[in-house]
Amino acid sequence: MTRLRRPSADSKDKLRKLADEELMQLVVGNDADAFEIVLERHADVAFSLAYRICGRRAVAEDVVQEAFLALWRSGARYDPRRGSVRTWALGIVHNRAVDALRRSGVHERRRVSDQGVEESLEAPERTDAQAIDNAASHEIRGALGELPQEQRRVIELAYFGGFTHIEIASMLDTPVGTVKGRMRLGLQKLRGHLEGWEALSA
Amino acid sequence: MSSREPHADCPVSVDAAPYVLGALEDAELQRYREHLSACTSCRAEVAELQSVADELPASAPPVLASAALRERILATVRAEAALLSAAGDEADRPPRQVSRWRTRRFSLLGAGAGLAGAVAVLVAILIGVGSGTSESTKVTRGIVEANAPGARASLRQSDGRAELVVSRMPQPALGKIYEVWLSRGKGDAQPTDALFSVTSGGSGSVAVPHSLRGVKEVMVTSEPLGGSLHPTSQPVIRVALSA
Repeated sequence: MTRLRRPSADSKDKLRKLADEELMQLVVGNDADAFEIVLERHADVAFSLAYRICGRRAVAEDVVQEAFLALWRSGARYDPRRGSVRTWALGIVHNRAVDALRRSGVHERRRVSDQGVEESLEAPERTDAQAIDNAASHEIRGALGELPQEQRRVIELAYFGGFTHIEIASMLDTPVGTVKGRMRLGLQKLRGHLEGWEALSA
Repeated sequence: MSSREPHADCPVSVDAAPYVLGALEDAELQRYREHLSACTSCRAEVAELQSVADELPASAPPVLASAALRERILATVRAEAALLSAAGDEADRPPRQVSRWRTRRFSLLGAGAGLAGAVAVLVAILIGVGSGTSESTKVTRGIVEANAPGARASLRQSDGRAELVVSRMPQPALGKIYEVWLSRGKGDAQPTDALFSVTSGGSGSVAVPHSLRGVKEVMVTSEPLGGSLHPTSQPVIRVALSA
């Protein structure tokens, strides 16, 4: 049985019609073409996340490469009952990006997470950004933008900056309990916003 | 107890938010996970907040992943898929072979993160092929002709399998990928499915998915993404094999 050098456009189209969860079953059976579709669907958001966290293109590329190869090699660990393929993949990317960031030292982390997001992107990349800006991204960014500054800040320092709540508390000279409370309030407000949007678009 | 409001009855309910944001200290994390397995109200709180945290990636400013990055990932995946299916073909009993491979492959996961891990897994797969009768690995140093100071390439052969490992190699130019060729001394070099790139640090590895019997030289050229059937550029790596 010789493997085709490149899959036909036809078989690619068939794969494109499958849901992520179905594709993952094929990936577990070593189907590289099915993996390619999964990569095609999520590479941009994965790279955007890694780049937001790491702040450097080369580091973000390595993170995304590692994460997708881990996904390819450990596809069997994916459990649809625990969430979508996208969430699972982005969870892997997030963990690895934060690891990479923590290895790079506190100074760098502070720079990346404190800075306004727009300033940390160079001009050519912003052009890219416009091309794939989408509704989901607008919603969550809009919702974050409406949070009180101190709630948004602790969420971003934790999620994108990779800081623990104790580090954030000392950084902001605020009691640990207050930091946790702001995280919780902020997340709950976001949840309210997102559910509102869901209800509107349903 | 199962209300959706702040779970004042549980003293650690406030840890749910830092937990879903990945902001607990390592020691706390352990304890909190144990707590979760016992506390239904905290589990409910985590589930609620997790659904929000799962949306946060979309708040990152959108940036396109480069074509080179995608191709690099796919090249490795295709090479590994070819290697695994070759193992099945050889015996002409795909199901059993494949399942044995997979077990081996997954048992190796977690052995290491990052590229080092990826390389280790590949090498381990290669070495694992013949299990019982493990011969030693033969390593042949190659010549790197690319203008790349300090670049190295070597071919590792073990039990009839071969893997090319490179370090400090420049990344292929935009829109290009490295392709492995086999030369038997006469006629055209044989193309392979082994396409690869390297990390920003210049390391990479690829399984050579064919028998090296009769092969005089393993070569690498830089080709358009997707690979070529005939070399379109001069070799950047040559590994001469002794018979």
